[in-house]
Amino acid sequence: MKKTISQTIPTDFERIFHPQNIAIIGVSAKDGGTGFGNGMFRALKAMGFEGKIFPVNPKGGNLDELQIYKQVEDIPEKVDFAIITVAAKLVPEVLEGCRQKGIEGAQILSSGFSELGTQAGKELENKIQQIAAAGIRVVGPNCFGIYCPKSGLTLLPGPDLSRQTGSVAFLSQSGGMAIDLAHIGKWMGIRFSKVVSFGNGADLRETELLQYLADDPETKVISMYIEGIKDGDAFFESIKYTIKKKPVIVYKGGLSQAGQRTVASHTASMGGSRVIWQSVLKQVNAISVQDLNELAQAALAFSLLPSGIFKNISVIGGGGALGVSACDAAEALGIEIPPFSTEQQESIGKFLPKPGSSAINPIDVANPFVSPQALKEILLQAAKDSRVDLQIIVSLLYHYKVMATAMGLKVAEVAPFRELADAIRDVVKTTGKPVVVVLPNPKKGLDDLDITEMLVLARREFLERGLPVFDELPDALRAIGHVNGYFGQRNANNE
Amino acid sequence: MNKESAIRIINNALQEGRKALSEYESKQVLAAYDIPVTHEILLTDKTQVEKAAKEINYPLVMKGCSAAVAHKTEKGLIHVDIRTVEEARNAFDEIMAGLKGFDGAVLMQEMVNGKRELVMGLSRDDQFGPCVMFGLGGIFTEILRDISFRKAPLDKNDALKMMREIKGHKILDAVRGMEAADTELLSNILINVGRIGLDIEQVQEIDLNPVILSGAKPIVVDALIVLK
Repeated sequence: MKKTISQTIPTDFERIFHPQNIAIIGVSAKDGGTGFGNGMFRALKAMGFEGKIFPVNPKGGNLDELQIYKQVEDIPEKVDFAIITVAAKLVPEVLEGCRQKGIEGAQILSSGFSELGTQAGKELENKIQQIAAAGIRVVGPNCFGIYCPKSGLTLLPGPDLSRQTGSVAFLSQSGGMAIDLAHIGKWMGIRFSKVVSFGNGADLRETELLQYLADDPETKVISMYIEGIKDGDAFFESIKYTIKKKPVIVYKGGLSQAGQRTVASHTASMGGSRVIWQSVLKQVNAISVQDLNELAQAALAFSLLPSGIFKNISVIGGGGALGVSACDAAEALGIEIPPFSTEQQESIGKFLPKPGSSAINPIDVANPFVSPQALKEILLQAAKDSRVDLQIIVSLLYHYKVMATAMGLKVAEVAPFRELADAIRDVVKTTGKPVVVVLPNPKKGLDDLDITEMLVLARREFLERGLPVFDELPDALRAIGHVNGYFGQRNANNE
Repeated sequence: MNKESAIRIINNALQEGRKALSEYESKQVLAAYDIPVTHEILLTDKTQVEKAAKEINYPLVMKGCSAAVAHKTEKGLIHVDIRTVEEARNAFDEIMAGLKGFDGAVLMQEMVNGKRELVMGLSRDDQFGPCVMFGLGGIFTEILRDISFRKAPLDKNDALKMMREIKGHKILDAVRGMEAADTELLSNILINVGRIGLDIEQVQEIDLNPVILSGAKPIVVDALIVLK
């Protein structure tokens, strides 16, 4: 079995993820150039990358008043990281130049390698591997590169990603998945430490990147999209080691037969059988998810909830059916919604509108216009039950549209989401028990775009106060279930 | 653990150009890894029947044993619940007649009684190498596919968890007057099946089907080892 390339000198990942200076090889002197090189140049500028950028092209010239160097070797300063976008057949020579220049790592965005399935493609990739083994780390080829909000590195089509740094890492064979999750994270509230689209993974790939992230202090949660792996034993050991330290969420693509055909042509690696993959993921206590949404929601929960198990919860919402569906969904995940004692129901009941409400748990507030102040009191009372580990509030803010229309105002001017966000933040502070917010919106039509806008604003307010937000209750419960599953197993293994 | 004797059996089969071990050989490999198998004796001559039967004790099971013959049931090569030496001799004749044309012998073994049948095994995955399987045996294996896998090497925790993972795991509990299965022994079997896969590269597949719970104790009643 071919082992991953081993190097004698340890890699300085700091220079790769937080480079001071970058070379972009393959820019065009034309400012309006539409190639990957110019795209990356503009994207890094737009992201506000603080380091120096050295454009490189054999033809020379200028780009944005910067001199274009004819080759990497001509750059008069030390360079940490290179972005290579030249045609595949030119990549080995350029990469070798980077290595000789002492560049620590390079991301190769160009495609035309092993993913083609041709002999020529495979040979080019072998050359990349050989150069990498001689002393430069490679991300790619056939990838979208690295996104690191802290340093300002961004993925290929990503001039508008967030610069807010956080604790979630994402490793993806697929560039499309990487850019999609980076965008989802921006509004959903997932803050990234590092996102790596590693494409064909000629050098750095799942196993080594996992190993690095396991000990990366910036990363607390790791998520990954994988199609195939190079070395099953090494991957197994690496993920097992990592999961003892931090949660690893895995979306394994290509488990269906049709999916496996796509995988074979996509990244030139085997998909592996479904049952074995599922077993292996269970064996190492990975959080196994079925799609990118579930991955994002799990990452959000892991990053914003305290580490622990939330076995018993309270649910505050409107409508009896909501309570029933909450109980059904929770039970399937081993989460309980214990009914409150009579005394507690009385103390909660004081703040509930009558008639029609219920204080049992789930708490049915019956009326969507219960004030944030009253909701705060209800949450404070519910948290007094020592069994409750976490609270979920399903806020029906969209109903304020009716009120706003009657008042001739916009829903965002009427719905009290800021007050609610403050109230919930205070509850978390007072009780020490996390609160998860659910903001459903059944009104998504053209005539209700103002509701969508209001909810985007509301979500931002909650997130700014560290409160995780989900669109639907089952999503929230499923994500909490993943947190419980991981820490439950980890605790059991440590006993 | 006697890895050397297991390797000797396998090398012998490979030298003969075979792709599989006979049931008898398979069980010797298992026994070399401390996996409980039926007490059994391989007979090539009818004169051996009486002495062997005394040693094993009635009731007996007698089977045709040949690496070349699969699906023993369909070919009338299995005789169960043999209670006298006459029955045993007749069974010997019938089995030898059924084996005509194949290189084979008669395997006499203790008859294991137990209502609960399990299946265990090993397959070699292209990416993850040897993986151990556990599931419900008998007709349920194929109908329900109620099975779980773990990549080798297994630790005890892995073994216990993979047993709990199948839907029908309650069959291992004390149910309907039967004692709870000895999960300690079951774990050891799973762990050691994994070890065979790790130790011996030439082993492609292992099939322990059925493993019968005799009271609380599991015993491998039939086994097949497929070679690379």
